[in-house]
Amino acid sequence: MLLSIRDLSVNYGRISALRGVNIDINKGEIVTIIGSNGAGKSTTLMSVSGLVQKADGIVTFKEKDITNMPADKIAKLGIAHVPEGRRVFPSFTVYENLLAGARGNPSLKKTDIDRLIEEQFVLFPRLKERIKQAAGSLSGGEQQMLAIARGLMMDPELIMLDEPSLGLAPIIIEEIFKLILRIKEQGKTVLLIEQNASLALSIADRGYVLEVGEVTLTGTGKELLGNEDVKKAYLGA
Amino acid sequence: MEYVLSQLINGICQGMIYALMAIGYSVIAGVTGMVSFCYGDLMTMGAFAAFYMFEFAGSNIVLGVISSFIACWLLGIIIYKLCYEKFLNAPRHITMICTFAFGIGMRNLAQILFGEARKPVLNVVGNRAIILGKSIRITMLQITIIVTVIILAILLSWFLNKTKWGLSLRAISQDKTASYVVGINAKRYSLIGSCLGSSLGGVAGLLLAVYYQTVYVTMGNALSMKSFSATVLGGLTDVPLSALGGLCIGVIENLGITLTDSSFRDLFTFSFLMLILLIRPQGFASKKGARP
Repeated sequence: MLLSIRDLSVNYGRISALRGVNIDINKGEIVTIIGSNGAGKSTTLMSVSGLVQKADGIVTFKEKDITNMPADKIAKLGIAHVPEGRRVFPSFTVYENLLAGARGNPSLKKTDIDRLIEEQFVLFPRLKERIKQAAGSLSGGEQQMLAIARGLMMDPELIMLDEPSLGLAPIIIEEIFKLILRIKEQGKTVLLIEQNASLALSIADRGYVLEVGEVTLTGTGKELLGNEDVKKAYLGA
Repeated sequence: MEYVLSQLINGICQGMIYALMAIGYSVIAGVTGMVSFCYGDLMTMGAFAAFYMFEFAGSNIVLGVISSFIACWLLGIIIYKLCYEKFLNAPRHITMICTFAFGIGMRNLAQILFGEARKPVLNVVGNRAIILGKSIRITMLQITIIVTVIILAILLSWFLNKTKWGLSLRAISQDKTASYVVGINAKRYSLIGSCLGSSLGGVAGLLLAVYYQTVYVTMGNALSMKSFSATVLGGLTDVPLSALGGLCIGVIENLGITLTDSSFRDLFTFSFLMLILLIRPQGFASKKGARP
């Protein structure tokens, strides 16, 4: 098991955002967490990457306890978190953003970094055209691609994507989901959070349904797509 | 005409020192995301560190620069730990008040330790002058100051733009959360950044002391506001533009007092600031990375 989340609880002040969440991720899978606004999807990711305080529970990555590790150390273990709202460095150029992404893996040498940058340009040819442009001046879709590419720059084992389709045109969303499948083919594990449940479940090996801080349903992508409750609540059927 | 030209040289020299102050200030403001109001007193401390170095080890400008750099680096650690670290997520005015208080404390402690009399800083650099034209002269002291500032600016710009530590510093000044997720320890780099800025301020203090040939405890009072103004002109976090802001203030001050009287010095600085902010509220900066 690559990542395991056991009985995770998170409180924001007096409000409990997560209550006893259990999630397991195996190597090489695409796992998706779906749920409506405020269900605690982003909170789950942020607690894995150490950005929020956990009230209870244990998170292990490759059998190593990372529950109370600082965020930068967690990233250095090989977990790339592509945060909600992209969060690229706006006044860095595309190239500098990619370089900053490589800071998450201290074992990378100069040649590895150059190779990884070339790899990103194969995946995202549009970024190559804009290599010298400030990231803040890119379009939303390009910023999302840059955020994913920045995450991949640390050559992570697990990449966590927080709503990559947020605010993007359908054609760009399709492109990004194709890219997620290609990332999986490279041997990386993907944890994907989406509101666009049908799209997410169609590419995912397994899925978890999160409702107000608790996992209510789990199964393979196909099973969840066919589930009546999921259909009613998230697929608009 | 020649009088104006030589005042221009004086202005550029003084502007260079202000530029260094502003560079340090903008590094601090950039990495911590908060303003500092103990910066002037920090510069005083830098000047005193160098003064005692000159007393004990002889007048050597390089030793002076090193001692004020190190002294202010250490002070920068204390300031960061006391005024910033605990309040990174607190409302901004808390940090502001903390730095104010720390500045007052530091100034009064200095008054007790160093005494309130003005101390002379003489002959650190020979006062030989190079005569250009009929009555325009540039002294060795001025050349030394200008060269020192340029060397430090080049070193800083190399550090910020070409090294991975510099990349991390620039990253945390834009987005601390995003920095954490790419594996940058934002807290540690905030500390490094604020120490680096403090050190540059300390060296600026030393250069001012050498330029005016005196050092005293309250010299930082006006400097704090001036470095803040210069940095605001540059858009608060942009290092090269802040330097430009400092240079402008120095030149305008000196040209202003050429035409009037030297007691109007600060009047010109702050009128210039207000004028620029009326025309361009964002300072010289054009927001890089913003979508039009």
